Amino acid sequence: MNETKDGYQTVELREALRQALDEEMARDPNVLIMGEEVGEYNGAYKVTKGLLAKWGPKRVIDTPIAELGFAGLAIGAAMTGLRPVVEFMSFNFSFVAADQLISNAAKMYYMSGNRFSVPIVFRGPNGAAAQVSSQHSHCVEAIYGNLPGFIIVAPSNPYDAKGLLISSIRNNNPVLFLESELNYGDKMEIPVGEYTVPIGKARIVEEGKDVTIVSHSRMVNRCKEVVLELAKKGTRAELIDLRTIRPLDIATVAASVRKTGRCVLVEEGHIFAGIAAEVGFQIMEHCFDYLDAPLQRVCQLDTPMPYSKVLEKETIPTVPRILAAVHKTF
Amino acid sequence: MNELKTPLKRVKHTFFEHEAKALMKQIGKESLLKALREMLMIRNFETRAEAAYLQGQIGGFFHSYIGQEAIQTAAIDVMGKNNWWSTSYRCHALALLLGATPNELMAELYGRSTGNALGRGGSMHFYTERLLGGFGIVGGQIPIATGAAFTLKYKEIKNEVSVCFLGDGAVAQGAFHEGINLAALWNLPCIYVIENNQWGMGTAFNRALSVDRLAEDKALGYGIKGYTLDGLDYFNCYNGFKHIYNEVLETSRPVLIEVITQRFKGHSISDPGLYRTKDELKECLVRDPIPLFKEALIAEKILDEATFEAMDKEQREIMLKAMKFAEESPWPDPITLGEDVLAP
Repeated sequence: MNETKDGYQTVELREALRQALDEEMARDPNVLIMGEEVGEYNGAYKVTKGLLAKWGPKRVIDTPIAELGFAGLAIGAAMTGLRPVVEFMSFNFSFVAADQLISNAAKMYYMSGNRFSVPIVFRGPNGAAAQVSSQHSHCVEAIYGNLPGFIIVAPSNPYDAKGLLISSIRNNNPVLFLESELNYGDKMEIPVGEYTVPIGKARIVEEGKDVTIVSHSRMVNRCKEVVLELAKKGTRAELIDLRTIRPLDIATVAASVRKTGRCVLVEEGHIFAGIAAEVGFQIMEHCFDYLDAPLQRVCQLDTPMPYSKVLEKETIPTVPRILAAVHKTF
Repeated sequence: MNELKTPLKRVKHTFFEHEAKALMKQIGKESLLKALREMLMIRNFETRAEAAYLQGQIGGFFHSYIGQEAIQTAAIDVMGKNNWWSTSYRCHALALLLGATPNELMAELYGRSTGNALGRGGSMHFYTERLLGGFGIVGGQIPIATGAAFTLKYKEIKNEVSVCFLGDGAVAQGAFHEGINLAALWNLPCIYVIENNQWGMGTAFNRALSVDRLAEDKALGYGIKGYTLDGLDYFNCYNGFKHIYNEVLETSRPVLIEVITQRFKGHSISDPGLYRTKDELKECLVRDPIPLFKEALIAEKILDEATFEAMDKEQREIMLKAMKFAEESPWPDPITLGEDVLAP
């Protein structure tokens, strides 16, 4: 941790997450952490570093490699009074637990006539890392986004990561908290101590009047590069970070599009039936008369993730591809 | 009958021991008659609900507990309601035994706003304060029940257990292995009760599972105890559950139980049961847990035929009233469709 001005600290995103976990464990004895390698190994990506030493094995629990079993167990624990935070070492492994997540966690409160809520957070890295090929690189938000009953959060920076994780742990619903392995080392100045960021509220990262760019998670930083490039040529883009996928803050997006008349949607996940498709359709519903150009989207190409770094780089949205999409709206 | 059919394998089971007369003395007349009333409540509920289904009042899937009444009745008589309970989609009996009223359950089957789950769950999803559900996916309740046991241990609640009912079909699921491995690994007070009715829908258990003794053979692989009970005999279930419940309270180790039972009906109401030979069905109907229990009580002069008839009639009337209640209950207002997708 670097010293900065009073009341602030400069931390990596992984440390911001760790602080959120630690502070919520201090606040509520029913909060516990469970997952593969979260304890003695200190977390595959060190998000849970030091928590076993501080809180002990009762509340920081190493599991076997049995995602269906421990995800379901944690859902059962949530139904009976605990507030588990479950780490998936990669959200790709959540597919092993999909029945428990989908059939039990997402549907329980509604299906039981509001008798049993499921206050649980599933968190971990989502999407591509560095050359881990197709079975470890999938973006899951579009898959789970189709399911009512989930809250889906995808922060892009350390400030939001901490504030949103605290809000997620306090929420009474199953939250899928999507991180990015490539963002864990990102540093930022954030307040010391507790603060929250509300679920369901997008953030305007850059204000602009010419074109709206909507993105989330790791692609927000890529879009910031695009905003700078556009500014050099005198185009002022408004960049929106969704922060929460479900519930979607369409009001913030629609207000921006009504102002700019143009919109480009940028998503790390696959193009077909993706989050961009959903947000785009809702823009059409809310802003049809305000659009000066067809919507554009830049997403992962419609192929499984390849291993080669040359191919991997090209299948994910790149700055040139996003710039080209912006130019198509003019 | 289809000549390609694989016959149902007959397994010679050794049941946990019991002595019926001594048990009757120990349980006492009042509790025995209460148990009989509960079994008749289940039988009458299922019978009337099935009739309502055939009248077109009830839709969707419908899985009857007829023939298996002794098991869950004995389990709750022994352990009391104050534990965590979960089961498969064959969940009507457990909800009734845990205190859900016939009215609210019948109304749920009828899809009415007064239903147990506000008309959202239907036949497969009944709940009470301590019933985590009827679960619709085979084996899906196993990790959930394990999690309830985890909570008991986490909160250091030592006078409760988590009880998970599952069918023989669920034993082939991965959730069975993962859930029981975790419970054994972490010493969780969970009692897994496999109600082996011999059939996973239309597939004989011996065409789905690699061992004959679903608890005793499987338990070895998890380092836990396995027991086999006679699900058609209330006394055998009672004695077995009592022994096991006390053992789990004492050791906080999970236990696997196989209860051999019979499904008198098809898998669900839409299943004519053509995979089962007439002899197989006839053989299974010979031992009905309710007449068996009744005869035992009559032999000990705890019950007479007239009292039995009166109890049966009383339950039938309760269920007829429940049907009337359900039929007269309002439909859910479509304006409520979007409510409760998320908890506040």
